Amino acid sequence: MRLLRLISWPYLRKHAVRSLLTVVGIVLGVAVFVAMHTANQAVFFAFERTVDRIAGATQLQVSSGEAGFPEEVLEQVQAVPAVRVAVPVIEAPAGTNLPGQGNILILGVDMTGDRSLRDYDLESGDEAVVDDPLVFLAQPDSIIITNEFATRNALAVGDRLTLSTMIGDRAFTVRGIMRSGGLTSAFGGNLAVMDIYAAQLVFGRGRRFDRIDLKLNDGIAVEDGRAAIQKELGVGFDVEPPASRGQQLESTLAVYAISMNVSSVFALFIGMFIIYNSFSIAVTQRRSEIGILRALGAPRGQIRNLFLIESAAGGLLGSSAGIVLGIVMARGMVGSISNMLEGIYGVAERAEEVSADPRLLAVAIAIGIATSMLAAWLPARSASRVDPVQALQKGKYQVLTAGENRARRATAAVLMAAALASLWIGTSVGFYAGYVLIILAALLLVPTFALWFSRALRPVLKWLRPVEGALAADSLIQSPRRTSGAVAALMLSLGQVIGLGGVGRESYNSIVDWLNTALNPDLFVTGSQNLSDRTFRFPEALTASIAAVEGVDDVQSVRSLRTHVGGMPVMLIVIDAESFERRGHRPTVAEDPRGMYPLASAGQGVIVSDNFARLQRKRLGDRVDLAAPGGLLSLPIVGIITDWSDQQGSVFLDRGVYKQYWKDDTVNVFRVYVVPGTDPQSVRRRILERVSPEHPRLLVLTNAEVRSWILQLTDQWLQLTYSQVFIAVIVAILGIVNTLTVSIIDRKRELGVLRAVGGFRRQIRQTVWMEAVAIGLVGLALGLLFGAANLYFLLQITGRDLSGMYLPYRFPVSIALMLLPTILGAALFSALWPAESAVRTSLVEALEYE
Amino acid sequence: MNDIPMAVLKRACIAVCMVFALVPAGVAQNEARRIVEEAQRRAESKSQRYEGFLQVLDSKGKVADKRWVFMRLGSHGRSKSVLRFVTPAEVKGVALLIVNHPDRASDQWMWTPALQRERRIALQDRSTRFFGTDFSFEDLEERDVNQYDYRLLGDEAIDGAPCWRIESTPSERKTSQYTKSEVWIRKDNYALAQVESYIKTEVVRRLKYSDFLQVQGIWTGRRMEMNDFRRKSRTILALEKLEYNVPMKEEDFTLQALRNPL
Repeated sequence: MRLLRLISWPYLRKHAVRSLLTVVGIVLGVAVFVAMHTANQAVFFAFERTVDRIAGATQLQVSSGEAGFPEEVLEQVQAVPAVRVAVPVIEAPAGTNLPGQGNILILGVDMTGDRSLRDYDLESGDEAVVDDPLVFLAQPDSIIITNEFATRNALAVGDRLTLSTMIGDRAFTVRGIMRSGGLTSAFGGNLAVMDIYAAQLVFGRGRRFDRIDLKLNDGIAVEDGRAAIQKELGVGFDVEPPASRGQQLESTLAVYAISMNVSSVFALFIGMFIIYNSFSIAVTQRRSEIGILRALGAPRGQIRNLFLIESAAGGLLGSSAGIVLGIVMARGMVGSISNMLEGIYGVAERAEEVSADPRLLAVAIAIGIATSMLAAWLPARSASRVDPVQALQKGKYQVLTAGENRARRATAAVLMAAALASLWIGTSVGFYAGYVLIILAALLLVPTFALWFSRALRPVLKWLRPVEGALAADSLIQSPRRTSGAVAALMLSLGQVIGLGGVGRESYNSIVDWLNTALNPDLFVTGSQNLSDRTFRFPEALTASIAAVEGVDDVQSVRSLRTHVGGMPVMLIVIDAESFERRGHRPTVAEDPRGMYPLASAGQGVIVSDNFARLQRKRLGDRVDLAAPGGLLSLPIVGIITDWSDQQGSVFLDRGVYKQYWKDDTVNVFRVYVVPGTDPQSVRRRILERVSPEHPRLLVLTNAEVRSWILQLTDQWLQLTYSQVFIAVIVAILGIVNTLTVSIIDRKRELGVLRAVGGFRRQIRQTVWMEAVAIGLVGLALGLLFGAANLYFLLQITGRDLSGMYLPYRFPVSIALMLLPTILGAALFSALWPAESAVRTSLVEALEYE
Repeated sequence: MNDIPMAVLKRACIAVCMVFALVPAGVAQNEARRIVEEAQRRAESKSQRYEGFLQVLDSKGKVADKRWVFMRLGSHGRSKSVLRFVTPAEVKGVALLIVNHPDRASDQWMWTPALQRERRIALQDRSTRFFGTDFSFEDLEERDVNQYDYRLLGDEAIDGAPCWRIESTPSERKTSQYTKSEVWIRKDNYALAQVESYIKTEVVRRLKYSDFLQVQGIWTGRRMEMNDFRRKSRTILALEKLEYNVPMKEEDFTLQALRNPL
């Protein structure tokens, strides 16, 4: 403690800004870790609460995927002796057309029995409206909203609220406002209740329900009740407690957690190298103090512990600040995760309470301290080994001995061999172990490569500026230890940019290829601008009406719905297999020799996307089990095609089989091919004239509009890469500032001598600038090399664990070219302050330095 | 006689005394059941038609009115009824079809003109209030005499008319929201005068009949007032233009007829 007070504290006070910069690495790493997990948890808990609140007193829920089931199933459930109350439910998101409000979840219920399960406690409005279902049911424009939604939008009882429904924009009358609490806080209050039969009409459900909520008779165990209902309904139905919906979300979020964890580990690795660099500075600057302490008899362990305690304190400070920053970042990230889930559930989950789990915080602090101590270990060990005599010989410290370099290269070779062996094993653990070992090997090779690149740069720098260039290059060549920390941090950061950018760019290219080959209809007739919106469904009879329009050559009716295969959510795409064979040009991965489309059309098999096959570990001929209201449908895979419709995989089923098992003949999207030579715009007009009077909700989109919408979505996803570039720039600035600071301190006398023999201040500045640019170039070169390997691993992770889509390997040259000016600019910027510091040092002080 | 042990004689005397002691209770039960059966027999008709005027007065004094036309075809336990709302405007045209069964709960469908579709109403929780009134769905069911046990509690006048006061308890196979009910039946014409329904020992609802009139030989209380003591609200139902044994057609009591009112 005394040493800390006498030696560490004055140093930290004197170099407060740099000490803060040291902990920035930990702050960043911990912040990313905390933010990602906290945001994930916040959305998950908010969703769980929402499910719980909407469920009310519901003990079990009966469902059958997104397609729902015919009304008759309700009577079957009600007839089960264990059931006390069973009520039908329709859940559908509807656009509010109110600024900033997005969608609202409409809960369609049957008021006759629903009050047994849910409490509709009115804040204002006529109690009789709710108490008397007759009034509520007799007026299908009745809607009950939450107090939260009413307050946000200044709505009162009797006001009209326009919602986007299947039958066009429709005005509803607010008949009641629910008191805050329980049900009303689901989806942050973006919830409204209406009559289920009116909901069937406005959301195109026909005579179907989405779900049945039920309560069992007193004394019946939930598991017994579940078994009795399941026995009655068969395997095509899910009978689960409401909480199981939360578990489905958890499994969805788990997929995203993989990519989050990779980013978090990278952030911590980068932080570790910044700390390593900072402690190297500290050891350099305090070498004389260490020498004195050692000369006075301080044992090596004491010196080492002094630095380790400092690093632990820095880790604690950094992780504490990282936690605060992480929670702030989590608030921002919650929005994007909510939006991601909006695609699944239709309504954005407003996770208003973002609070971190104490266990997560403890782990974050432990990670911060451990990372900091690990990073400081080598500098601390070096400090403890400082020879009092060597301490007076400035500059020698930064040299790596040939033996040290050989040892590192040998270890790297062993790690590389172990990595290849792990990858060869082929298992998931082997793959990830191989990835980590490759990263470690690359880190160990940084000083060697940095030295080679610096030597290669020397002639170029010397050619540019004979004196300044040579001095800058020599500084790097003579002190690889000083440079390697910054270069390693930069390498990791840029490697991640190249990796993520490459995956993003390749996904984009593959989507464009897919758009060009598979998405070939001239027009799309649908209910929403957003083609993935499956809320709106239209009758099959509309196919004939559209086909009869002049200029229409062919119409394919497509129904998409989310279902589960092997416990994972997948997209079921219902097609007319014959028409798809005629019109589709989807790249085929594998196909039954008898032809996949004829077999699918005959109901003898399903076609699956290649990512489905990979994620579900299925091959041609394997059976796919689909639970349908009409029973379990088990069909062999007769074809595998490349398809980007869904990240979790798609199963293509013929419409005839679907109608038989799902008792559903509705359509989401009509794909229209016009007669060759006909203007699609004129056909679009004619379709609208024909179908709009009866179906005002229908939109007719051109191929170009759909294409642009998909590409816009893809672009949004690519934005993630650009945020990584920003982090890389920050890392570059931090690392280079630190490295140059050490360099200037180390070379104080050298720079002083240069000035004493007539060197200009301009020359000193340019030397520092060139050194910074050289570090940037070396970091960039190693970053691109490491990025090339990292891209391979990220493509593998995307294929095997994220989307099942194996993308071709193509190095993202455009991103690499963009990084060149960015990193060189950042290097120059980070050299400004150290250069000024170098030229302003007193000449006398500089010459006295040794 | 001497061969008969005294102990046996004593036992026989005790048994006879016990039988005689039990007779009044059995007689009271039989009498109660006979009264209820007679009341039901006297109320029987082949069909019924009336115009109902319903007023719900809540605890804050707010009044909601509704009018409907009611038609019933068939006798007790096997009847079919159609109830079609006339006012207020927001429920006009809404209709209910009720098909009663002697051995199970009735089937009910509702027609909603604004949606142009009928829906089945599943009466799972029969304690649910009947469309915002103080009647529960169970209160409106046709009661099967055999599903209850009766006990004559004595005589008591209601509005000056002497009545039998009878306790009615659901039998073991009958499920009910009520623990028991007390029914008052007028001695002069066997018409129902009042029903009090209990949950445990608390009276939760009281239905009182008044404005008695003999219509085509059937004594009917044309005004019913249901008090819900828990909600502190009441509902008044007045039967106007009441007729019995009106000629009606079976086809007017179908889902098709519900969709296409006359």
